[in-house]
Amino acid sequence: MIDEPISSTTRFAAWRVWLPAVLMSAVAIVQIVLAATTNISPWKGGGFGLFSTLDGKLERRVRIFVESPGRSEELEIAPSQKILAERARLFPSDSMLLSLAQAVSRHETEFGRPIDAVTVEVRRTEFSSELAVTDRPLRTLSWNVDQETYNSR
Amino acid sequence: MWIKKLTTPASDPGALSFVLRLTAIIILLRPMGPWWISFLLLGIAVSTLIFPRILHAPATWYVLALLVAGRIIEDWPLADNHIYLLAYWCLAIGLALGSGNVITVLGRSSRLLVGLAFLFAVIWKGVLSPDYLDGRFFRVTYLTDPRFENLTTVVGNFTIDQLAEAREYLKPPSDGALPRLHNTPSFTALVYFSTWWTILIEALCAFFFLVPFRGRFGIARHVLLLTFCVTTYALAPVLGLGLILLTMGLASVDPENHLLRTTYFTAWLLVLAYYMIPWVGFVIDGVGYQWFATAP
Repeated sequence: MIDEPISSTTRFAAWRVWLPAVLMSAVAIVQIVLAATTNISPWKGGGFGLFSTLDGKLERRVRIFVESPGRSEELEIAPSQKILAERARLFPSDSMLLSLAQAVSRHETEFGRPIDAVTVEVRRTEFSSELAVTDRPLRTLSWNVDQETYNSR
Repeated sequence: MWIKKLTTPASDPGALSFVLRLTAIIILLRPMGPWWISFLLLGIAVSTLIFPRILHAPATWYVLALLVAGRIIEDWPLADNHIYLLAYWCLAIGLALGSGNVITVLGRSSRLLVGLAFLFAVIWKGVLSPDYLDGRFFRVTYLTDPRFENLTTVVGNFTIDQLAEAREYLKPPSDGALPRLHNTPSFTALVYFSTWWTILIEALCAFFFLVPFRGRFGIARHVLLLTFCVTTYALAPVLGLGLILLTMGLASVDPENHLLRTTYFTAWLLVLAYYMIPWVGFVIDGVGYQWFATAP
């Protein structure tokens, strides 16, 4: 019978029962800690926070700004950068934002439009209990292409 | 009885094979990851359906677990939660097949995994999220998420124009041009019901799956999971998670309980049908829309 007490199976078999559950709990706890200490979306990362909070894909957006002599504009996200942008949107860590900024820089250079700096901004829409809407930057990273340095806030 | 007349005993895969094959079919239904992971996953899943020796080999399921984990790592954190659950489940199958008591080990593993999935879901909704219990989550989601558009119009009694207006209102930043957000008593009831029904049934599922009840209480956990899947996935189009939960639930059923196993399989097909058939749209296009349009 499936629901027999664990003592009826061997100790080795008990280990086999618990390993997937322990792994799952560990990942979920790490995700909860990440969500509390960084800006990872609760919907992602294996913590089962989906359909629990207004902080998923729909409430976040990525904006990209480039600068060069005589040029300062916001860019659309190129198809080749979609996955990087999605990762940055759902987990706007410095490394995710930097990867996207560098991809934008490479893309612009390839198309003969070299740039001096890229700024990647992830914004989040928030709703008050009365459903008043606000929009704030969650994280912003500026990449200086020539000096290969960045600052974030 | 007519099923027995139409089939042969050789086509009965047995309780364990049934669960393993359903898992392979889930992998086949939702190809995932970069091309090489996707190809290997599909190739192995197809092989398990054709060759019983591959289906019952622990190594098969360890490899599948590793491939699914590879998909999670490859573009972390984009993978949905059910992909994680699939990885744990493949690992659990491999470990069970390598044990001396496959049915018991797999049944207990599945019970723990289902219970934990619901437990973490309840922790997020009830403790960690600031905007779930006050109804904000469903109120905004039903108005802004296109996947719930039909539900909001049919059950929430919103017209398409009112929904478009609400979406404009909820767009960032709020410009204050609209005097107020439209609401209906039906929509308020829908939000209230969704909020509390979801967390209640998830908490009950977590409790009954994590506590090793037997007998009638053991059956109750299956009734709860089936109720959750049949009601939730009719509205929330999350195919992968629904099918995995039902497959794991099935694995925790006593192999001799044919009624419950059949019910699980029927629910499995129903969740698949929910995803494939735009049934709410049919309601809107058919009698439902006319009824709601003329309702006071």
